[in-house]
Amino acid sequence: MGVVQWLLKKISKAFGRSTNSLFYTLLNREILKEINEITENEEDSLIILREIGKNAALESCERHSGIFKWMPGSPKKVLEYFELLWIVVFGKEIEEGGLNYEEIPKEGTKYNDYIVEIKNCPICASYGLDEKDTFNFQNLKNKETEGLACGLCGMLEGVANFILKIKKNDYRINIVEQNCKTKGGQCLQFICKIYDTTEWKEFTAIRIQDQLKSGVFFEEKMEEELIQDTKLDIIDKLQEALTLDKIEELLDEPLEGIKRKVAEIIEDKLNMEPEHFFDYFKNYEDDMIRIIGFLTIHVFNEYGGLVEKILANETFAKVAGYLFKQLRDFALLFIPIDVINDYHHLLITFLDGLAPVEMVENVKKFSGKDDITFLFEGAQLALENLGINFSELKENVWEELRREKEDELIPSEQSMIEKSEEKFPKIIGIIQEILMLFNEILTLPIRVLVSESHYGLKTAINSVVSEEEGLFGTIKGRIDTIFDYIQEIRK
Amino acid sequence: MMSYSRKDLVESEATMNQMRNAIYHLERFIKNNNISEIKQRFQRMGQNIANTYIKYWKPIDKVDITNIKNVLATIYKYVLNSSVSIEINDYEKLISVKDNDCALCKYHFEDIHVAGCEIIAAMVAEFVLLINNQAEGEHSFSIHPIEIKKSRTFGNKSCIQLFKYTDGGK
Repeated sequence: MGVVQWLLKKISKAFGRSTNSLFYTLLNREILKEINEITENEEDSLIILREIGKNAALESCERHSGIFKWMPGSPKKVLEYFELLWIVVFGKEIEEGGLNYEEIPKEGTKYNDYIVEIKNCPICASYGLDEKDTFNFQNLKNKETEGLACGLCGMLEGVANFILKIKKNDYRINIVEQNCKTKGGQCLQFICKIYDTTEWKEFTAIRIQDQLKSGVFFEEKMEEELIQDTKLDIIDKLQEALTLDKIEELLDEPLEGIKRKVAEIIEDKLNMEPEHFFDYFKNYEDDMIRIIGFLTIHVFNEYGGLVEKILANETFAKVAGYLFKQLRDFALLFIPIDVINDYHHLLITFLDGLAPVEMVENVKKFSGKDDITFLFEGAQLALENLGINFSELKENVWEELRREKEDELIPSEQSMIEKSEEKFPKIIGIIQEILMLFNEILTLPIRVLVSESHYGLKTAINSVVSEEEGLFGTIKGRIDTIFDYIQEIRK
Repeated sequence: MMSYSRKDLVESEATMNQMRNAIYHLERFIKNNNISEIKQRFQRMGQNIANTYIKYWKPIDKVDITNIKNVLATIYKYVLNSSVSIEINDYEKLISVKDNDCALCKYHFEDIHVAGCEIIAAMVAEFVLLINNQAEGEHSFSIHPIEIKKSRTFGNKSCIQLFKYTDGGK
C-alpha cells in the first residue's frame, strides 16, 4: 500500500465513528432479518439489503464529498484502490495477502471485468453457529443471489460510483457478491463490471421494485444525471490535477512520475510524441533548458493564474523582479558545484527516454553551471511575459530606492528630517555593502550546509534497506503512533 | 490463513458511519410498508445482538445495584466505543445514560421518529438480564428501557436513554 493510501486509511480510521466489529456484523445480521420479516422472501431480502447499503453509502459520501475528490477518476484506478474502498466502508483492514485481484479480459470494451477476492470475510464469521442466526440461506432458490455481505457490496458499489460521478467520469461500476462463505463459497468474492453511460442506463433500467417478488414496497433512489457545474475553487483545480494515484506515483517514483506528467502535457497540449517534440531542439539544447525554466514559471501560473495576478501590481512586479535577480546572482554563490552537477546528471536522466539520443549526448557536454544560467534565462523570459519589466530594474533594489530619492527636488531650506532624507541613499549604500560582505563570508558555511544536507539526503535515501527499516519506516511508525493516540483520545 | 470467528471480531473495530445510515433506511423501508411497531422491532434487534454477543464477551458474572454504573459504562465502552455518563435515581428507580457520541445517532432526520438508540438501549438491558440469568444463585436485578428521552436523531445535542430498574434482591 502506498504512502498516501496508508495515510488516508489512518485518517478514515481515526476520524470515523467505530464500534466493536462483532456489534457491526450482528447489526448487519439483524437488519437482514428484519427485512426478511417483512418480505418473507430471502431473495427479496438480499436485494433490499444491498440497496439499503448502497443508499447508506451514498448518503455518507454526499456528506463528505470533498474527500472523494482526491480519489482517482477512472474505473480501473478506483478498483485498484479497492482496499481503501473497503476501509472507507468497513473500517477494517485486510490482513497481509488477504486480498486477491484478477483482471478478466473482455473483448470489444474499454475496460475488463475484475474479480476481487477477500480470503477472510468478517461478515460471515461464525454465521450459522448461533440460534439467532435465523436467516436461512438454504431457502434461496436462485443460486445467483448474493450472500450475507450484499449490504457491504452495495456500500462498496455506492462509494465507487459516487467517486466516478463526482469526477465526472462516464463509466459506472457494478459490484456483485459472487461467492459467500455462508453460502458455501471458499471466500468472499466480488465481480466488478464496468459499464459506459448507455450500458449503465440499460443495466439499471430494471427497477428494484420490479425485481421484488414479495410485493413489498421499496423506494428506490434514482441516480442524478450529472452534478451541476459549480464555480471551481483552487482546491477543486488542485484535486483535478493531483488525485491519489498521481500523488502515489510521484512519491513512489518521483522522476518517472514527472517524466510521465511532462510526456502527458506534451501529448495533450501539443498533440506530439515527446521525442518528436524534443527533436525540434536538437542542437539547440541551451534553448531547451531555457524553455524548461520558462515552462516551470508557466506551470506555477497554470493553476489560478496566481503569478500573473501578483505581477499585475507594479510594486509587486518590481519586488519579484529584484528577488529573482538576487536569487539568480546568489544561486551559483551558495550552491556547491558538486550539488549543481548532481542536478545536471538528474536532468540527463530526465531527458533519457524522452528526448533523442543525440540530444542527450549534447546536454552531457554542458556543465551544471551552464544549466543554472540557461534555466534562469528561461524563467526570466517567462516572468517578463507575466509582467516583470526587467529592463526597467536597476542593478539592485537599493539603487531603486536611491533613484526614487534622487528624483525629488532638494528644497532650498532643509529641515533636520530633510537632511536625514538626503543621507538616506548613503545609509542604504553602507547597508548594502555590509550585507554583501556578510554574504561573501556566509558563502562558505552555507555551501557546507547545502552540501551536508544534499549528501546527507543522498546517503539517507541510498542507505534505506527496506520500507520498514529506513527513515520512511520510522516516520510511518511515528505517524502510526500519533494516530493511535488520536484514536485513544477520541475514545 | 484461518477464517475469522466471532471471537476474533470482539478484538477489533469497524467504522459505523454507513451502517448507522443503514438503520434509518431500514426504518423508512418499514414505514413505507405501513408497519407501525418500529420501536419493538428495533428493540428485538438489540436483544438478539446481546444474545449472540454474550457468548463471546461478558463484562462481569453478576450485576446488581452496587455495580450497575460500572457495568453499563463497560458495555457502552467495550461494545459501542462510547463514553457515557450515568445517573441513578434511587427514589424513582431510574437510570439515565447520556451519550454525547452515540454510535447509531448522529444526524437530525425530520422524517424519523424512532431513534437508533432503541437498539442500543434494548441490547444493554438484555445484556444485564442475560448476565444475571447465567449467574450462580438467584439474582432478580434487571433494567428495562423505558424511553429515549433525547436523541441526536431528533435534533438534540446528545442521546439520553432512560431505564427503569427492578431490584428484588437475592
